[in-house]
Amino acid sequence: MGNQTRTNKKGLSIKDLVTIGIFTALLFVTMLVGGIVFAPNPVLTFYMPLGAALLGGPVMMLLIAKVPKSGAIAIAGILCGVIWFATGMHWAMDLGYIVGGIIGDLIAGIGKYKNKFLNMLAFICLSLGATGTYICYFANRNTWSNYMLNGGTSKSYIDAMNTAAKNWMLAVILIGTVVVAGMSAWIGSILLKKQFEKAGITA
Amino acid sequence: MMGVRFDPRTKLLLLLLCVICTMFAPSLRYELVLVCLIAVFSLLSGQFGHAFMGTLFYGMIYAGTLLSVTKMTGTTQAIFAAFLGLVNKVYPCGFMAGLMIKTTKTGEFMAAFYKIHIPNRIVIPFAVMLRYLPVVKEDWHYIKDAMRMRDISPSIKNICLRPIMVAECLYVPLMMAASNTADELSIAAVTRGIENPNPRTSLAQIKFLLRDLIAVFAFSIYLVIGLIGMV
Repeated sequence: MGNQTRTNKKGLSIKDLVTIGIFTALLFVTMLVGGIVFAPNPVLTFYMPLGAALLGGPVMMLLIAKVPKSGAIAIAGILCGVIWFATGMHWAMDLGYIVGGIIGDLIAGIGKYKNKFLNMLAFICLSLGATGTYICYFANRNTWSNYMLNGGTSKSYIDAMNTAAKNWMLAVILIGTVVVAGMSAWIGSILLKKQFEKAGITA
Repeated sequence: MMGVRFDPRTKLLLLLLCVICTMFAPSLRYELVLVCLIAVFSLLSGQFGHAFMGTLFYGMIYAGTLLSVTKMTGTTQAIFAAFLGLVNKVYPCGFMAGLMIKTTKTGEFMAAFYKIHIPNRIVIPFAVMLRYLPVVKEDWHYIKDAMRMRDISPSIKNICLRPIMVAECLYVPLMMAASNTADELSIAAVTRGIENPNPRTSLAQIKFLLRDLIAVFAFSIYLVIGLIGMV
């Protein structure tokens, strides 16, 4: 790659950018496949971030292994945010992915992108981005659905709302996402060691 | 394609306006009018089917929401209200986004991104990503066929009995293929001069015209109406 990196010596080369693009596409597909089971279901819709985090770990771990430079995870997060925005998802989720990606990049950067544990933590950060919508909901849940009732919220409705969506649900969503994402990334790191390092496709 | 062509930047701006509109939507009726507004925009762009199906589908959601709000009680109402609230907040944006994706070519997107000065390190991965998404689907079919040949097809039974095996057989070829494509695509891109430091030229001519201004103006006015809370 000596000649190709000439114009962009320090940062990401063209090859890195292309790799990030391709793996972000895969990451997006895993989120879509994992999330689609949950999203259209009224009872399960709150657990969508768990599903979205379930399958992406191996993709992310290989991406970090292939492009161990600062910016890779952040760009992946930004692209996820942009593509979710372009498909019309809730703004808090889009923003969540962007912020999560940037924080994840900083965390993985501490270990120079070689520390397995920190890389897993980076994927967890990115996955937490999907919870943005629900944090938004729980932060302000009484007004969330008010507009559907034209402002006429009855006392019984608010009570029912509070019993149906308790505060522990947010904790379940957040902790569940961390656990699921951690598992996924852990499996990813095993796969990485077992298959991809041997095949010599990591950087 | 029939109809008026809008600048890709206009569509992005309208999508942003839609997101802000749904964020501050004061009532359900406001959302309904917003959807109708997008349908009009869709008709102007020549996407009759999209406008019709989108409005019809939203009509069903609207009816469902009204029904759940008035007819249901207690916990079921709360669950459905929370869920439909999410659907209502997302639907107009999704409608708009679908239109944007249908009427804009990747080249136009790229030209628009360069015009609003988004750095290369975002634009290049984004272009690659859009290009690669259909390939993932294709790869998936090949992998499934190959797995079936070896009697480890990703059926429910196999996923339950041998989850690790199935996962490995899915991830490894998918990511190997992705990794090889990354190499090939970057060589192809460099050969075509992607590293050229001069400003990029584009076949797709994009200009911000009067009709774009009118469209943005109409949506902005509607946003202001929503903020004041007149509907």
